[in-house]
Amino acid sequence: MPPLKTTRIALVLFLSTLGNSPVVAQEPSPPEQQLESVFPKKPPYSPYANRHFPERVYWGDTHLHTSFSMDAGAFGCRLVPRDAYLFAKGKEVTASSGQQVRLARPLDFLVVADHSDGFGFFPLIFNGDPKVMADPQGRRWNEMIMSGQGAAAAIDIITSFGKGTISKAIFPVPGTASYQGAWEEVIKAAEDANEPGRFTAFIGFEWTSNTGGNNLHRNILFRDNASKASMVEPYTTQKPSGSDNPRDLWKWMAAYEEKTGGQVLAIAHNGNLSNGRMFPIIESFTGKPIDREYAETRAQRERIYEVTQIKGDGEAHPFLSPNDEFANYERWDKGNLDLTVKKKPEMLEFEYARSALRNGLKLEQELGVNPYKFGMIGSTDAHTGLAAIDEDNFWGKVSASEPSPDRATHAFLKTENATIMGWEQTASGYAGVWSTDNTREALFDAMQRKEVYATTGPRMIVRFFGGWNFDANDANTRNPAVAGYAKGVPMGGDLSNAPASKSPTFLVAALKDPIGANLDRIQIIKGWLDAKGETHEQIYDVVWSGERKPDSKTGKVPQVGDTVDVPNATYTNTIGSSELIKVWKDPQFDPSQRAFYYVRVLEIPTPRWTAYDAKYFGIQMPPEVPMKGQERAYTSPIWYTPGK
Amino acid sequence: MKLLREPLLHFLLLGAAIFVTFSLLSRHKVDKPGEIVVTQGTLENLVTGFTRTWQRPPTQEELRGLTTDYVREEVAYRRAVAMGLDRDDTIVRRRLRQKLEFLSDDLSDRVMPTDADLQGFLQSHVDNFKTETTFTFRQIYLNPQLHGTNLHRDETRLLADLHRAGRQSDLTSLGDPFLLPQSFQDISLSEVKKVFGDQFASGLSAVASGRWQAGVASGYGVHVVYVVQRNEGRLPSLTEIHDEVRRQWLDAKRGEATDKLYQTLLKGYTIRIEQPEEKKVAQVR
Repeated sequence: MPPLKTTRIALVLFLSTLGNSPVVAQEPSPPEQQLESVFPKKPPYSPYANRHFPERVYWGDTHLHTSFSMDAGAFGCRLVPRDAYLFAKGKEVTASSGQQVRLARPLDFLVVADHSDGFGFFPLIFNGDPKVMADPQGRRWNEMIMSGQGAAAAIDIITSFGKGTISKAIFPVPGTASYQGAWEEVIKAAEDANEPGRFTAFIGFEWTSNTGGNNLHRNILFRDNASKASMVEPYTTQKPSGSDNPRDLWKWMAAYEEKTGGQVLAIAHNGNLSNGRMFPIIESFTGKPIDREYAETRAQRERIYEVTQIKGDGEAHPFLSPNDEFANYERWDKGNLDLTVKKKPEMLEFEYARSALRNGLKLEQELGVNPYKFGMIGSTDAHTGLAAIDEDNFWGKVSASEPSPDRATHAFLKTENATIMGWEQTASGYAGVWSTDNTREALFDAMQRKEVYATTGPRMIVRFFGGWNFDANDANTRNPAVAGYAKGVPMGGDLSNAPASKSPTFLVAALKDPIGANLDRIQIIKGWLDAKGETHEQIYDVVWSGERKPDSKTGKVPQVGDTVDVPNATYTNTIGSSELIKVWKDPQFDPSQRAFYYVRVLEIPTPRWTAYDAKYFGIQMPPEVPMKGQERAYTSPIWYTPGK
Repeated sequence: MKLLREPLLHFLLLGAAIFVTFSLLSRHKVDKPGEIVVTQGTLENLVTGFTRTWQRPPTQEELRGLTTDYVREEVAYRRAVAMGLDRDDTIVRRRLRQKLEFLSDDLSDRVMPTDADLQGFLQSHVDNFKTETTFTFRQIYLNPQLHGTNLHRDETRLLADLHRAGRQSDLTSLGDPFLLPQSFQDISLSEVKKVFGDQFASGLSAVASGRWQAGVASGYGVHVVYVVQRNEGRLPSLTEIHDEVRRQWLDAKRGEATDKLYQTLLKGYTIRIEQPEEKKVAQVR
């Protein structure tokens, strides 16, 4: 087929000019051998063959509440798990506030994760279940809700739950008919909504350890279908059948797997509201340093962490990372979950993902296992049945904070210690999962291998590979993933045994959300443990848009600019890049030191949900309310461990 | 006799029958003032309820207690209703409404649609059941930021070269680096929207199969596209989706039955809604 070959050559020449590489000599045609080097291998006839790696990111929320969660119900949520799945699939629903709502784009998967304590409690109160009405406390809550004091009832219910003063007679516990009924309904909703290949509806629940108001919550996600999940009931924190200690949760998980042959995973969240207990070095339950068993079990059971959500962003804190000008993002650091105890600076180290990743290296040195070797995802934690966290389509943390003129200026939570205002809610986040298929099994397995990343809402595509032999050309190939998987490990992977005099190289690429904002820059964040046993962190600007020059002193790339028109809640993509790709080599690598590397992708500034609210409702926000921000993605790290 | 096979008629007849039965039953019970009868059935219910809670049957003494309590509940209930205590109680009102609607809900479970009913429903709700159009296609991406003002020229040249090579072109070195695959197989239009955005999806829909075409834009830039195969969405036959059609048919009938219920109930009522003197209600946009 001579004509075809000629065409190919012409194409190669033409594209070399496109790709900014040196122009290759014009006709006549190069000899056959040279052709072979340009086309080293003829690809298979079927372009779909030989692809065993994930080619697509699937988007979802692993953490959504419905009225089956007692706090959600008390705050006005009337949507049930079935509604939540329909909404995630892109259907229009009527929100609890009576307004019509729909997502701009459907999600690919969803976990309805209602609180296991008091599972289905709220519908019992709301519907005036005879047993509830026979109890003075239950009757009081019912009457409060019926007379429009749902919010006050919600706080009272949550506080009573925290203190353990909810009447035993009315509280649904595992083993009772009402509890089983609620669990069956949750399972059925997931089974009905699950469409392998099109939409994945996971079975799940949230284990809500909250002793003293300190958030140690975990979402539990089943790889399995109803036949296995219905062999157990969700694990609770209430003694004697449950426990507030994560070690007991891990035992329950092991017992489930033993009993059914299935698999579950646990995802912790909101370390920022744990008051120093989420990533401990000293266990709060015993007051003793964590041991190898803790480290091993946690590393096995909790392979990913929910790093960003409506109750704040948990990647990094300016107190811990004073040189990181992007660390001060959507910060919630006034106290614990119910604001009963104020935050102290010394707690922060044990709350944020970056410091936990650093402490993990230290603990691995001491214990032989890194308990905090986690990948990162975002999710909503919305209590509305609506996984809606786009800045221009934000439906709030609870049904009482669905769109209204005063939702931003009303206190969200107020105690004698502090106040969190409505505007402090963060419109965040989603989980991006690199999976070979959109099924429970494939997505679950991708989470277990940490091939996942977090975003604060935009669906940007992020690739991150580490290896020893990436070179600049790998960033110029048309499909960087081919080189990425061939020469390295993807996000969530491990490097070890550094070849002599080699430093690790990384292939990193990001593509903007197709309907979203351009990208400002890609950063690689490195953490390491030095010979003295101290941890460090360094942020590298790796690739950025435009012609900006890094500052000669700090090495930092200047700000990208700002096109946000706050009064009109608009921005333009006249700055930033739609795509950024680069191969980067660690300039300060020491093969004897443990290290991790993860990627942070920043968008150009865009209007925050408060700006969309101000425009829509025609209101003036108080001066302290942020009206724009730089949305972002965080990938799972790649770890380097010295060989033995 | 088409009327006899009309499902709505079944609803109405069944509904009427059940309402009559219920009202007869309850009249029978309430109609003897000054007498409370604890029937054998009631006693059995009390025993069952107790057994379910305590995992054992009640003792004689406990059963006496339950019975006394039942009698008290009944007499209190009658007095409370007579005094009209149920009228301004939101919870009671809501429960009663629920029960009434449940009755009409229950009815629809008993009406079995014929295949002819379902076929008719399928034909009149084509959009609910039509499968999506799917595409098998290849795309080559050009990044506007790399081409600047030459974008259009470069796109035209790429297209001309691709035309010459046809479907067999080796794409691995064409276009600009891009994180999305160059080839997609049997992907539905809604999935295309998720991956590339709406703009690209409508562009792709307009592309003829079997040749390279330029000028398909997305939020990323421009794409030269080759649609290998396009499978139009089609209406599956009833046998393929029988259960789904039946589910939706029942949903629709439930809705109709509820509407009908309220129409019937509201007959003989005039509804007068008093207007507030000044409209102070905030307009929700």
